Amino acid sequence: MNPLRALRPSSPLPGWGLAAGITLSMLSLVVLLPIGALLLRAAQVGPADLWAMIARPRTTAALLLSFRAALVAALFNLVFGLALAWVLVRYRFPGRRLIDAAVDLPFALPTAVAGIALTALYAPNGALGAPLLQWFGLRVAYTEIGIWIALVFVGLPFVVRTVQPVIQEIETEIEEVSATLGASRLTTLRRVVLPMLLPALLTGFALALARAVGEYGSVIFIAGNLPGVTEIAPLLIVIRLEEFDYDGAVAIAMAMLAISFALLLLINLIQVWSRRMTAEA
Amino acid sequence: MHIEIDGIAKTFGRTVALHPVSLSIPSGALVALLGPSGSGKTTLLRILGGLEEATQGRVLFDGVDTTGMRVQDRRAGFVFQHYALFRHMTVFENIAYGLRARPRAIRPPQAEIARRVNRLLDLIQLPGIGGRYPSQLSGGQRQRVALARALAIEPRMLLLDEPFGALDAKVRRELRQGLRHIHDSTGLTTVFVTHDQDEAMELADLVVVMSMGRIEQVGKPAEIRARPRTAFVQEFLTA
Amino acid sequence: MTVASPHLLWTPPRFRARTGPTEEPRWVRILLTAIVLAVLAVLLLAPLAAVLAEALGQGWRVALASLGEHDARAAIRLTLTVAAIAVPLNAVFGIAAAWLITKYHWRGKALLLTLIDLPFSVSPVVAGLCVVLLFGAHSALGGWLVAHGFPVVFAVPGIVLATMFITFPFVARELVPLMTEQGKAEEEAALTLGASGWRMFLTVTLPKIRWALLYGVLLSNARAMGEFGAVAVVSGKIRGQTATMPIMIEMLYNEYLSVAAFSMAALLAMLALVTLGLKTALEWRHADQLAATARH
Repeated sequence: MNPLRALRPSSPLPGWGLAAGITLSMLSLVVLLPIGALLLRAAQVGPADLWAMIARPRTTAALLLSFRAALVAALFNLVFGLALAWVLVRYRFPGRRLIDAAVDLPFALPTAVAGIALTALYAPNGALGAPLLQWFGLRVAYTEIGIWIALVFVGLPFVVRTVQPVIQEIETEIEEVSATLGASRLTTLRRVVLPMLLPALLTGFALALARAVGEYGSVIFIAGNLPGVTEIAPLLIVIRLEEFDYDGAVAIAMAMLAISFALLLLINLIQVWSRRMTAEA
Repeated sequence: MHIEIDGIAKTFGRTVALHPVSLSIPSGALVALLGPSGSGKTTLLRILGGLEEATQGRVLFDGVDTTGMRVQDRRAGFVFQHYALFRHMTVFENIAYGLRARPRAIRPPQAEIARRVNRLLDLIQLPGIGGRYPSQLSGGQRQRVALARALAIEPRMLLLDEPFGALDAKVRRELRQGLRHIHDSTGLTTVFVTHDQDEAMELADLVVVMSMGRIEQVGKPAEIRARPRTAFVQEFLTA
Repeated sequence: MTVASPHLLWTPPRFRARTGPTEEPRWVRILLTAIVLAVLAVLLLAPLAAVLAEALGQGWRVALASLGEHDARAAIRLTLTVAAIAVPLNAVFGIAAAWLITKYHWRGKALLLTLIDLPFSVSPVVAGLCVVLLFGAHSALGGWLVAHGFPVVFAVPGIVLATMFITFPFVARELVPLMTEQGKAEEEAALTLGASGWRMFLTVTLPKIRWALLYGVLLSNARAMGEFGAVAVVSGKIRGQTATMPIMIEMLYNEYLSVAAFSMAALLAMLALVTLGLKTALEWRHADQLAATARH
């Protein structure tokens, strides 16, 4: 009768039926059915046609740009996030707690706000854009560099927030042992501390990457959106939708989902492997 | 109250926690379920309290089948292993919880609740700690508060899961006497779970030795000491 | 936030004047801290300052006046309405899902956790696209709904759905680790003391999770009010009707109405700062009642 009955665990705690009902109906309505609609549409179009639409130069250029820029930004955030987390946990300086709190700003600040703010800053006549152009001849806004900066901004907190608690839990004894065995500080950090942080670093990297690949709001203002050059994949989906080319939009969305999941799977595998390495130690 | 356990078995997925066990607990007895971890003693206690559902068999309270009876209706005073005190409530509120949870028709008035809580605080010899929070108490004090909270609902029996497990040796000895005293003054049928044979032997009228989901032996402490019936019991007692 | 100069940095106590075995040399510490703070200043502080500077470029009166315009007020009202619907619904979902995951043993728990996290790995634009495909006028379901006078896409329900999709995991993600840590013994104790299910939930469970719940609601509210990509796709961007504050920012910006765009942006930035402040206060004052893993 009720399929939930089959799963119902024997427990005296009440509320299983109610909680399962709320969870399943909302999950279905908000997440599963909409995603199902996308998959259904993709199935109706068929793999051959999907592929043909993805293989168009403008689409491949957009997909390549989205993933390349996301990788660049996530790599930067990997290194910078580690440095920032280390400084926040290990060093003492005035205003540390304030800065710790400020790290979450990209989570709280709406992407459209970040987008126009970064554009205003880095435009050729902006507060940072003007000197960069004048002194280094570097154009940031309306180029791929601008996209990198926007993606670094939105992905900034991920690595910090996943690595920070792990650094907090490292017992200094481990580092002391390494020192008593004659290892230099650099060796200790490289051979002892870094391997302990690796799984968390990878998690943070994966989160930052996933966020950057799909990011739209903060990028479209600063990107310039020149087809084939600075046009990101999510924007191309929006453009296809505005042309009522639903199949075209579905094709790009499917490509993004497929590549994202492949990347996340890869990172997951690396993580499992690195955990095994640390577990054996 | 007389408790009759009749062929109770329990499986969790594929693991068998209890093979069918039967046991008769006379009214007013102080019974220890003794065994190593994984022997099924806690599962049996939780079935009595209605916190687990038996896979088969039935439990009778004074001859009444309790199968399907809700936890709330059993009126079994249950003391949890780590006490499960409500951390966001004061000691007073903790003890008063069961009285305040009663349907309006049988809920005592505020003054009566306060009177009963204070009497229980006297009984556990901790008068004047009603305003404190559980985090401000020592382990032994928490255990006594948990006992008072269970007693407040005027239970028909007391069920205690490793009541002294988390305490150091000295406090443990004191509290054993406390439990004995409370049992003797209330006359409640009391079942407690322990893995400590000294505790079981010193405190209980009747000891139930369990292993691997089965009852190995039931008897008075002296009997079990004198005539261990199985190799397991012998080994467990000499360990 | 300025680049910290060396004398502001922590000086080790005299008896440990030499570098300890578990710390980096002093010059490394100073250099690393300086670099990190400099990058943060450029990356975080500068954009915030830019928003305020652009908004107040022609004085605060002009900025305030732009927010008082009819369409701007409609956008603010719409954003508040959408958040007021989406956030409580997600809170209810989060509590229900966390209850299922943390209080019972059952097969399918891991699958449910994965499904809850799914929205994190889907682009907001793709989320919007999914809602359009399911409820758009050309789809079977959408067509039927429109025919019965209940349009979803290019209307408020679609915006609410897209917003809920994006913020779906927030509350559950805060509650699951905390409630796992808390176990279920207190709930069981309440039942043995005779409490009904609702009484147990309201007097035992809810007080134990209230700060984590508030934390999750704060985060999901900030995200809901600021959501852009998903809403841009489903809203149709009808000025005064389906344009939320972020959408309004885009439209004003594209029309070169800089002060109006940045004033609206400043308002949302203020919301972000308030959210950060409250969140930080929660972390400082109630760290013990947020799960150890609750920090984002």
